[in-house]
Amino acid sequence: MKKNVLRNSAVLGTALLFSAMGASAATFKWASNTDPQTMDPHAVNSAPVLSFLNNIYEGLVRRGEDMSVEPSLATSWEPLKGENGWRFHLRQNVSFQNGASFNAEDVMFSYQRASNEAADVRSWFSPVSQVRIVDEYTVDFVTKAPNPLFPDSIANFMILDKQWAQSNNAALPARDAENFASMNVNGTGPFVLSSRDPGVKTILTPHSGWWDTANHNVTEAIFTPIGNPATGIAALLSGEIDFIQPIPLQDVAQVEKRDGFKVLEGEETRVIMFGFGHEHDKLLYSSDVSDANPFSDPRVRLAAAHSIDIKSIDRVLFRGKIEAASQLVPADISGFSKKNTDRPAYDPDKARALLKEAGYPNGFSFGLKCPNDRYINDEALCRAAASMFSAVGLKAQLSTGPVRDYWPQLRKDDFDMYLLGWSPGTFDMEHPIRFLMHSQDNDKKLGSWNFGNYSNARVDELLPNIQQEIDPTVRQTMIDEVVSITQKEVAYIPLYTQPLIWAAKDNVQMTQRADNFFLLRWVKVN
Amino acid sequence: MFYFILKRLVQSVFVMLAVAFLAFSLFRFVGDPITQMTGVETSVEDQSRLRQELGLNDPFVLQFTRFTSDMLQGDFGFSFRTRQPVAQMITSRIPATLELGIVALIISLFVGIPAGVYTALRPRGVVTQAILMTTLVGVSIPTFVIGIMLIFLFGVQLGWLPTFGRGGTVQIGSWESSFFTLEGWRALILPAFTLGVYQLTLTMRLVRAEMMDVMRSDYIRFATARGVPMGRLYFRHALANTMVPVITIIGLQFGGVIAFSIVTESVFQWPGMGLLFLESIRFVDIPVMGVYLVVIAFFFVVVNLIVDLLYVAIDPRLRVKDVS
Repeated sequence: MKKNVLRNSAVLGTALLFSAMGASAATFKWASNTDPQTMDPHAVNSAPVLSFLNNIYEGLVRRGEDMSVEPSLATSWEPLKGENGWRFHLRQNVSFQNGASFNAEDVMFSYQRASNEAADVRSWFSPVSQVRIVDEYTVDFVTKAPNPLFPDSIANFMILDKQWAQSNNAALPARDAENFASMNVNGTGPFVLSSRDPGVKTILTPHSGWWDTANHNVTEAIFTPIGNPATGIAALLSGEIDFIQPIPLQDVAQVEKRDGFKVLEGEETRVIMFGFGHEHDKLLYSSDVSDANPFSDPRVRLAAAHSIDIKSIDRVLFRGKIEAASQLVPADISGFSKKNTDRPAYDPDKARALLKEAGYPNGFSFGLKCPNDRYINDEALCRAAASMFSAVGLKAQLSTGPVRDYWPQLRKDDFDMYLLGWSPGTFDMEHPIRFLMHSQDNDKKLGSWNFGNYSNARVDELLPNIQQEIDPTVRQTMIDEVVSITQKEVAYIPLYTQPLIWAAKDNVQMTQRADNFFLLRWVKVN
Repeated sequence: MFYFILKRLVQSVFVMLAVAFLAFSLFRFVGDPITQMTGVETSVEDQSRLRQELGLNDPFVLQFTRFTSDMLQGDFGFSFRTRQPVAQMITSRIPATLELGIVALIISLFVGIPAGVYTALRPRGVVTQAILMTTLVGVSIPTFVIGIMLIFLFGVQLGWLPTFGRGGTVQIGSWESSFFTLEGWRALILPAFTLGVYQLTLTMRLVRAEMMDVMRSDYIRFATARGVPMGRLYFRHALANTMVPVITIIGLQFGGVIAFSIVTESVFQWPGMGLLFLESIRFVDIPVMGVYLVVIAFFFVVVNLIVDLLYVAIDPRLRVKDVS
């Protein structure tokens, strides 16, 4: 009897020693404000879904900690010879989480699934004309025109197992009903879904057969969506969760002053800007100008830009955490125009002079629309901006609303000026040119977020060339030209890059990627 | 009696239809579900095709008729947000909300009624004044502030109770219950108290007012003169007679507790129907919002029915009427 006790305590002691030494095993609990709507990687093209599923599924290429593109299920890729497109050489000996092995058939199947009408991610494949299997581990993506950025643009294109999807009636993403893939997964990635209760709790465990070396030490990861920010902070500070993304700016100080917790800060790739109703004939919400649209005059737009005091906004509303923006992407995004980094300085006198020159010496009133639940401090920002505009005579009538109602209003052209935030999905300057600067063109699927329909023939002409140019110097020259044109014409007023604020326990290490994606494979719990 | 219940249930169908109609006529102002269902890169063309597929371009009357006729056939549709069957989503969230509401109700009754009796019997006592002041503060502060304060006190500062979620639950058939684990009870305390505090105050003040009224009536004086023991006098003779109005109000309030547990559920991330409804508003999930409101209307009808039946149980005079 006594012997037994001794032996048991010895075992226990060894176990304790191991767990103390290696810190090799850990349950990791985290929270975010939005639950991923689905587990289907092709059904919804939204950050919460793609970020979460990047733990489970993998693409041909993936983005590293610094956002650079690196090999994933493809080991290498090169431009096709004699035609436009790319050849991907696939990784061998990769297995899905159900044990099935990965090959070109799965890539082909996933392409067909993701480019189908039922898929929300199909826009990624609009440049593709054909996909063909060369051999079991080689796939060609043929594009309609030269497309140097194609490999970068499919980093979130996740590969499913053909057999698994077909045998479970999940060959297509579900649009208006549920299917097997909305609740179940079978990827090649580092984590497996071990239980899912939508909106309540989702548990992931490591995939033991993952092809890459696991650098994390997570044995079980529990995700809880917490919608209320104050509840989220309380959950972190009480120690019930290890990490939360994002936290409100006003809670930063509270987290920082507590022992055992840290705040992770960075710049998101999202630039916040004001846009104008360029093509409107008249103002919709003006009490004094009813027959004209002053914002069609670039001098008036420049006056608006000169009336914004970004330093005060930074100090008062953002506690010094924002970076003023000169163009629609932040400086570390590829294609950023280094030749055009000046932004209109805060200069109320110049703004008044410009207004006078444009024929509005006393200014005019107009409607400013803003969302109140989309970007950090969006409503407060618009209040501040409205009073800055008013100081030079641009009497802004502010109206704010939830984002679910905001986009429909903008689509209906129901604004004089509006607030917009843009994060380039491909992490390249071409993205905002395509969506925000090119004229609206539904047939070509261009300019779909250019609500005010800013239109410049030269910009429209340059976009396809930028998309197809292989030579980086020539490409950059064209991008510089676009940025210079849109700055001169004040197509938008870029304001700042939105900060990214996460909070965690001190003993947790992770990577804060600029696209606000959180990946478990970089988590270390000490 | 059977006829009475049947009549009420038939009436409830009309109540639910009316609620569904009102809800549907308001949904168009909530926002556009399509922009919430699709990513930024989705083309305008794909968005309008999806809108067409989901029948969102149809006239209001057609959409409403489709919704109600599907529902009468037991088809509750699929969520726009998660693509799950709505019936499954709502039923999986009912236990959390009901258990929270019931515990809140029990707290409010077990604290509210004795406190009401006590404050009625000793109207000028120091304890009475203290209780009245505290509860006044309790109802004056909005629910979410009380919730956050409790979370920071008991969850963060003292670390005694969990700050969010249901803790440990046990699955009994399709019912997920917090009642059978210690963790489950620990997680219940704060949200149930937060949800019940308004109800508690109301119950207490109502019992107090009724009690003070009854204590002045002749039969209590006679009973006192006859030497009926105090405990029996207060609780058997006096309290029973205060119960009819108290039950009416508490019953109606309980419907409200279930329906408006939204705020408490959001503060405590309590995975009940209210939280589901809140998420659904954010994503303009019309099928879920529609079914939720109809289910809530049904709850109100059932609670009212139970209140009516309780009258009969408590007040013998009503039983006599029923027979005649």
